[in-house]
Amino acid sequence: MSAIELRQVSKAYGDLAVIDALDLSVEGGSFVSIIGPSGCGKTTLLRVLAGLEPATSGQLSVDNRPPEEARRRKRVAMVPQQPGLLPWRTVRANARLLLDVNRAANPVDALTPELLLAEVGLGDFGAMYPHELSGGMAQRVALVRALALHSPLLVMDEPFAALDEITRSEMRHLLNRLVEGKAVTVLFVTHSITEAVALSDRVLVTSARPAQVVADITIDLPRPRSVDVEDDPRFFELCADVRHALHRGNGTTATGGGA
Amino acid sequence: MKHRVLAPIVGILCFLGAWELLVQLNDVRPFVLRAPSRVVDNLFSYPGTYAEAAWVTLQHAYFGAALGLAGALLLAAPMAASRFVEHAVHPVLTLVQVTPFVAYIASVVLWLGPGTRPAVFIVGLVCLPAFAFAAVDGMRSADPAARELLASVDASRWEVLWRLRLPSALPSLFTSARYNVGLALIAAYLVEGGNYANEGLGAIGKKAALFPSTRDAADALWAAIFAMAILGTVTLLVLSVAQRALMRWHVSQRPQLR
Repeated sequence: MSAIELRQVSKAYGDLAVIDALDLSVEGGSFVSIIGPSGCGKTTLLRVLAGLEPATSGQLSVDNRPPEEARRRKRVAMVPQQPGLLPWRTVRANARLLLDVNRAANPVDALTPELLLAEVGLGDFGAMYPHELSGGMAQRVALVRALALHSPLLVMDEPFAALDEITRSEMRHLLNRLVEGKAVTVLFVTHSITEAVALSDRVLVTSARPAQVVADITIDLPRPRSVDVEDDPRFFELCADVRHALHRGNGTTATGGGA
Repeated sequence: MKHRVLAPIVGILCFLGAWELLVQLNDVRPFVLRAPSRVVDNLFSYPGTYAEAAWVTLQHAYFGAALGLAGALLLAAPMAASRFVEHAVHPVLTLVQVTPFVAYIASVVLWLGPGTRPAVFIVGLVCLPAFAFAAVDGMRSADPAARELLASVDASRWEVLWRLRLPSALPSLFTSARYNVGLALIAAYLVEGGNYANEGLGAIGKKAALFPSTRDAADALWAAIFAMAILGTVTLLVLSVAQRALMRWHVSQRPQLR
């Protein structure tokens, strides 16, 4: 059973085609990154999968349900680009936010936010307010907020894009540690080749708008992945593969576009 | 921190001192301007009378403002959610805001009867527009990332309002509350002058104004004005304390870099 299944999914705003006849199948428990040029419709794809807007045409299922139903049942957890923490809530209360609303749909096996906070190194910061946190800490709270739902699908939209390089590298290893060996399926949108390769089982390279998958690269680096994985010669080869695919993808649409 | 307490006291004492000097040196007629020393003297000669009247005025202003705030929130929730509702309600609120309420006090007293009810109603009406505009702005300013997030788990409208939109509106609501303090007290004072209840600082002021030439009347009028000033100052202080307690998380409540 695939965690995500898209068949000929299109999304248009008026005449503007953002996603065009996209086929995609993501196996449960895998980590899939989507990398592509800015404005190619990646965020739109995530919003469609999260049930926040309907597709214009095509068939899609998330966790074997229509996305709208998955959303109502809290089966999709989002980590946005901006942490979106509520400034009047403490770290602890922010970590609980998604459990505090639509409670009827809370899973019986929801995780305890306090334990997750401790796991990401924020155990002593529960009583602090967001303005007292660094960018990396705030994004870790956002990660805990999503993980606490214990939903089968985690959808992340460039969550580390606003962080500095050192923090980003820490965050990728934290994320690997948190999701490795768990049943969660992750769909991760990024602009960073390093990030995509370090985290993923599969990297999907997309073209400029309308979004099409131009390459599907399997990342065969062993798990669990330590920090050292980024020194592995295979890591560099895979980064180069993704980079070439990105260039090819853009070249193709640059000449083939104009429609 | 020290000068935050000291500076306002120095400022007010200088103002009162200059006033006192002006009256003493120029021998101004009592109804035109009373020396602060005489006003304070009068206030302390009849403390019970003024305290009782101030208590009535305070209740009119506070209950009225609470009514206005409640009405504003009830209007603001659909206004923030729908542009159509906003565009429909906005002009009505503007009308309320720009119409001189003094002119229809008598009508409202006829309608609601003498006493507390017309006072609370008019104070509420006067506070309504500023509270409503502030609430709509504040609710609209809610973080889009947080809104998206709540939508992604199918939070209800009520949950979004309570957990996100209302707290987002707190800063602008406090700003409008500071503006409404003066309006609420003045409205309470003016209604008390015309609601046939003979209660509150407004009634004292009204009676004094009927006999402008007597010294007692001048004393009473200026004592009422001073009592109003004290009510206003105390209310602003209460607001500051409430704001500090409810909005510790907000930029405006944190130490400023200079």
